[in-house]
Amino acid sequence: MKVYVIDNGGQWTHREWRVLRYLGVEAEIVANTTPLEKLKDADALVLSGGAPRVGLQDKLGNCDEYLQYANVPILGICAGHQFMARFFGGECGEAKVPEYGKVEIEIIEEDVLFKGLPKKMIVWESHNDEVTKMPEDFILLASSENCRVQAMKHVKKPLFGLQFHPEVEHTQYGNEIFMNFLGEAKK
Amino acid sequence: MFDAAKFVEDAVEEIKKQVKGKAIIAVSGGVDSSVAAKIGSMALGKNLVAVYVDTGFMRKGENEFVKNLYGKMDLKFIFIDAKKEFFEALKGVADPEEKRKVIGEKFIRIFERVAKEEEAEYLIQGTIAPDWIESGGGLRDTIKSHHNVGGLPEEMKLKIVEPLRNLYKDEVREVARYLGLEVAERQPFPGPGLAVRVMGEIDEKKVEIVREACAIVEEEIEKACEEGLIKKPWQYFAVLLPVRSVGVRGDIRAYGYTIAIRSVDSIDAMTAAYTKLPHDLLEKMATRITNEIKDVNRVVYDISNKPPATIEWE
Repeated sequence: MKVYVIDNGGQWTHREWRVLRYLGVEAEIVANTTPLEKLKDADALVLSGGAPRVGLQDKLGNCDEYLQYANVPILGICAGHQFMARFFGGECGEAKVPEYGKVEIEIIEEDVLFKGLPKKMIVWESHNDEVTKMPEDFILLASSENCRVQAMKHVKKPLFGLQFHPEVEHTQYGNEIFMNFLGEAKK
Repeated sequence: MFDAAKFVEDAVEEIKKQVKGKAIIAVSGGVDSSVAAKIGSMALGKNLVAVYVDTGFMRKGENEFVKNLYGKMDLKFIFIDAKKEFFEALKGVADPEEKRKVIGEKFIRIFERVAKEEEAEYLIQGTIAPDWIESGGGLRDTIKSHHNVGGLPEEMKLKIVEPLRNLYKDEVREVARYLGLEVAERQPFPGPGLAVRVMGEIDEKKVEIVREACAIVEEEIEKACEEGLIKKPWQYFAVLLPVRSVGVRGDIRAYGYTIAIRSVDSIDAMTAAYTKLPHDLLEKMATRITNEIKDVNRVVYDISNKPPATIEWE
């Protein structure tokens, strides 16, 4: 299986690559300006997080093109998740209470990503902005005390967004979340 | 999963392809540079020259440790005492980014001198993933300029070779174990050394204070590990704060420095949780630091995680 990690300039982009490789996936990091036609052999895409505010910009490399035309499962993380929400008509803005480090989230809808996992888990975060209004075609999967949209999913398509970081060591069940996502790519 | 044997095989091949003639390798006595040196010597044999620079910011006893370590390896080893040069270069420098850049450039100029004498065109470095990730560039923000990446001068003559670029520390340790290196389990130590553990402008006295404090923290934590009281943390050290506070020593007013103890658990330094050390151990370290180091009368424990803090303070 081939998964491209779209690099939006995150501190943990390379960690996403590592986790995918450890799960036996052929993973490759590419610049977010890579044309979609060069990603034709992708079975799934991961949109990484990025430096401050990139999720709020009108353009995030070619992420809009991937979201519209890629036709494979996509996992947006942090800035990637925020951009996904905005692309489908949601809103993002500065978080009232930004979260860095350890946070507990509560799973509202198990759906695909949290299948078989506990209702509450410790995850690690690093964000100044957040999704303030979820797009209409998405359902809410998880929330934390200070950030409502910790995880979301498109109602029809295999598009997922996570505000927290499943790729870092200190997040519980990070590997399981990635495996559940990769399960979608196998379909 | 990660396959150390395969990694070594590929890395040796890659260096053979990249390097024509002689290369120097910058070594510090840490795990990363030792692994890079071993792999480099497997690829280049006598065409590899290891260079260790005593910046004056090294841990207590480090010079002897490194001489002994590289004495056992099959390569040419050069020891350079550059203490004066480094202290001189950092005079009046208080900003952490500037400090790292001054140190990075100093290193490179020294390596260039050695390379010229040795007629080598290549510099092998033990750079690992967090070094270039945190150094930033392109879309990625600069968290801190690692001396071996973001701290490099723009103009330099040496061609850089970085066999460990895509590895994290836990993977480097696996390679070190596979290669039978005794440094496999050593805790990480920053390239700019104690210079980034003295906040703000450094001087010899401050570096000496933090060196002693780091040695006490290392001794006490390692003793507690041996006694089975705690699991070995990822990294543990002392930082000298530029804050002085009032104390009382033997009925006399004191106005001394503050030491912060930092100990964290991690596997790759990309996220880190502060270690929940037992209070008895913290108390023992605080007592020793304040009793044994005259200029310190207060010790605090850093309980922040990464993020939002980083592991080292600068």
